[in-house]
Amino acid sequence: MEDLAAFTVDYARGLGAEYAEARFQRDIQETVILKNGFPEAVVLEEKKGIGVRVLVDGALGFASTNNLTRKDVKNASGRAFKMARASSRIMHEKVSMDDSSLGNIKVEVNQRIGFDSVDIRSKIGLLKETYKLAVGEAAERNVKIPACSMTIDTWMTEKLVVSSDGAYIYSIIPRAAFSILMTAFHPQKGSAQRFFDLGGSGGWEIVEEWRLQSLIKKEAETLSEILLSAGKSPSGKTDVILGPELIGLICHESSGHPGEADRILGREAAQAGETYLKKNSIGLRVGSPLVNVVDDPTLDGSFGFYLYDDEGVKARKRMLIKEGVINEFLHNRETASVFGVKSNGSARASAFDREPIVRMANTYLEPRDYSVDELLEDVKEGVYIKSFMEWNIDDRRFNQRYVGLEAYRILNGEIKERIRNPILEVTTTGLWSSVDAVGRDLEFQAAYCGKGDPMQGIPVWTGGPHVRLRGVILEDDK
Amino acid sequence: MRKDEISSYIVDLALKKGATDAVTKIHDRQHIMIRFSNNEVTVSKFYDELTVDIFLMIKRRRAATTVPFYSARRLERTIEKLIKIARMTPPSELYAPLPEGPFSYDPRLLKGPKISLSPDRLVGYVEEAINAALKEGAKKVAGTLNVAVEKTVLTTSGNVHASQERGTLDISVRAFTSDISSGHSVSISGSEDEFNSSEAGRIAGEIAVAASNPKSGESGRFTALLGPLIFADLISQVGILSSAFLVDIGQSFLVDKVGTQVACEKLSLTDDPTIADSYGARAFDDEGFPTRRNVIIEKGVLKGYLHNSITAKKYDVETTGNAGLISPHPWNLVVESGEKSFDGLLAEIDRGIYVTNDWYLRYQNYRRGDFSTIPRDGIFLIRDGFIESSVRELRISDNMLRILKNIRDLSRTRRWIKWWEVNVPTLTPYAVIEDLNFTKSTM
Repeated sequence: MEDLAAFTVDYARGLGAEYAEARFQRDIQETVILKNGFPEAVVLEEKKGIGVRVLVDGALGFASTNNLTRKDVKNASGRAFKMARASSRIMHEKVSMDDSSLGNIKVEVNQRIGFDSVDIRSKIGLLKETYKLAVGEAAERNVKIPACSMTIDTWMTEKLVVSSDGAYIYSIIPRAAFSILMTAFHPQKGSAQRFFDLGGSGGWEIVEEWRLQSLIKKEAETLSEILLSAGKSPSGKTDVILGPELIGLICHESSGHPGEADRILGREAAQAGETYLKKNSIGLRVGSPLVNVVDDPTLDGSFGFYLYDDEGVKARKRMLIKEGVINEFLHNRETASVFGVKSNGSARASAFDREPIVRMANTYLEPRDYSVDELLEDVKEGVYIKSFMEWNIDDRRFNQRYVGLEAYRILNGEIKERIRNPILEVTTTGLWSSVDAVGRDLEFQAAYCGKGDPMQGIPVWTGGPHVRLRGVILEDDK
Repeated sequence: MRKDEISSYIVDLALKKGATDAVTKIHDRQHIMIRFSNNEVTVSKFYDELTVDIFLMIKRRRAATTVPFYSARRLERTIEKLIKIARMTPPSELYAPLPEGPFSYDPRLLKGPKISLSPDRLVGYVEEAINAALKEGAKKVAGTLNVAVEKTVLTTSGNVHASQERGTLDISVRAFTSDISSGHSVSISGSEDEFNSSEAGRIAGEIAVAASNPKSGESGRFTALLGPLIFADLISQVGILSSAFLVDIGQSFLVDKVGTQVACEKLSLTDDPTIADSYGARAFDDEGFPTRRNVIIEKGVLKGYLHNSITAKKYDVETTGNAGLISPHPWNLVVESGEKSFDGLLAEIDRGIYVTNDWYLRYQNYRRGDFSTIPRDGIFLIRDGFIESSVRELRISDNMLRILKNIRDLSRTRRWIKWWEVNVPTLTPYAVIEDLNFTKSTM
């Protein structure tokens, strides 16, 4: 494959491309689906091919093929070249790549327990047993689980990135993921639903560490209790403690996305949208001095793990918001060149047939010094929101809404009764400015971040500690 | 071996190795995408893919794969692996044999019009869209052009040997007059004759200009006039969540609703892939069953779900020709038009909000249909039957079934919609919704 990638780059350069990059990528994935306690199907997928990206007269062209012959990669390179050249006639600002130093390295994440060493029967058995425990737990409370889908995905991503200016990165990263949509139903109380993902990089040991059976049993208990006993949420101005699940999502949506440099340049304007931040927003205060939001691809075992990006740039921790102030944007080589900075290694492509674009990896709020009890003890009246179902944010990443699922009233520093669907609808700066204490705990959740066109869903972690917001306004449930 | 020979070879081999049923789909696709922003091309992309989908059953045990177009020997090993996996899998809830052919297909659907992939021609479409939006007064224009040609060869153990060739064009154009005022429009088609990138650019530009200088909107319940982009997003939710698979896993507000009034009598929704040369036209589904026009909602009553053979057996009905081997899905949604013009609908609204587009729709509870979504690209206050001013920063926070029941009227004019936010091609009118709940950020 090395030869074919090098051949592709040389061929594209021979056509006259100012820059050429070839990325061989193979993703081998196995998905086990359990629907309402029955295996629906086992699905295997192998996607492999070469994506070639060229720069011609300041215009970018990309082409991919899953036919791995010299003839086909020549055709692909030729197509990318012709498309770029044709496009260059309506280019006003020429694209260029920054002069970041590029890696020459092999990266491999090892599996302690290989995916192949666990047979299909065991994987389905795990899901079936988990389902049974969840149904049983709900039944003890006279609640039914009329619908529940669970999947376990395991996959291996092998990449080779070669570029005309010297990048050579070979990597193998295995990942595992679990997702669930569970419905609890009671004839008098109606329904409640819970959806979430788990994920990480490594072997089957990750799945074992999740302890799915006890985890989902507990989720079924919680969902049943929400259905049976959650009362009306208070509304109006109050103090709110958000758990790591929400804080992670908020970091991703309202701090990670707006700081993507391609978005700032308007490159996602017709799809994933723009951002409230501008090219000159570095130094802009957006939150309390307690807020440090980082994105770090290098976290061991993380879902968004990588050490070199898909342009060959070494990955590093990025401090997006430092003490409440915009500190750094996410860049690939193209945007870094426009901004006059160095790429911070944020280029990722979800598959061989997708071009590398600016992406988050593992985005989280840095913990500080409060225990959860200390966060609580200073709240006279408030709300604790631990998990959510509904959320969205506008395409400038400024107005967002989070609707809690597992949530409680706080009274005189103590967690009291369950409440249903507390609604936080708030601006990015309004939310981060109301942070008055940050916990010392740190938890991560898995998610698939969607961006690009065609859509590129990529694995990420989101996370953070418990956080206290002072004097925010909760809406009335409709 | 030729593709059709390989396809038959795989099915025969799967049966020989022990499968009771097998499907092979070979998909040969060339796709060009041009993305543009700030009035120029951001990147041009060409995709050339040849893939093989294999699905097999050993009665109630099922396994599936998608792989590149391997050699016959490699495909044989793939089949052996799938058979081994299927044998190890505990049985699923149901077994339904694949539909038994041969079937006859509508020849108009088997071969669509020829579509050019010439780079210069495609860049020309982009230029037309950008220039049309700028001519209307837009300052910057962004979007995506997609042009694809594909050939599908399908063989099943149900005596199906079929192939279909089709092409599609779509452009999504978003025009801006400032950072906070924009307009969006699309053009989609299965033929070059019906494709109009310039018109998409013109409409996007027109909305962007009208949306200039927006003020902060007020929350509350309003009569809403929804444009085709946002109404397509809502309606495509109805179409997608009418999949019997999604109903089964609780990911639908249509659970237990067949035969009941789920919408206003003015709403009739079909899934109709039999409209020749339309974007979502197709002759057969993934089980080789001929597609047909399926009524999902008729005069507000939910008539049924969309099925493949397995879900159809569970619900004791016939397959609707919507397979998806795992999950059935709609191909080409069509909302029946109303009788009034856009101006006629507008004239009947005393106090309301006209929303042209939305994005980021998420549910609190699929089964109940509680959700919110964010209007964007031209939101206007309506006063005494006229558009009064442009507003911004509102959210629609409501319930899908409530919205369907609160449809007051639909326009005569319809547009085909498909873009980043609306995955299924949907032909939709403008819609007037009573009492729609708008919320906004509280701080």
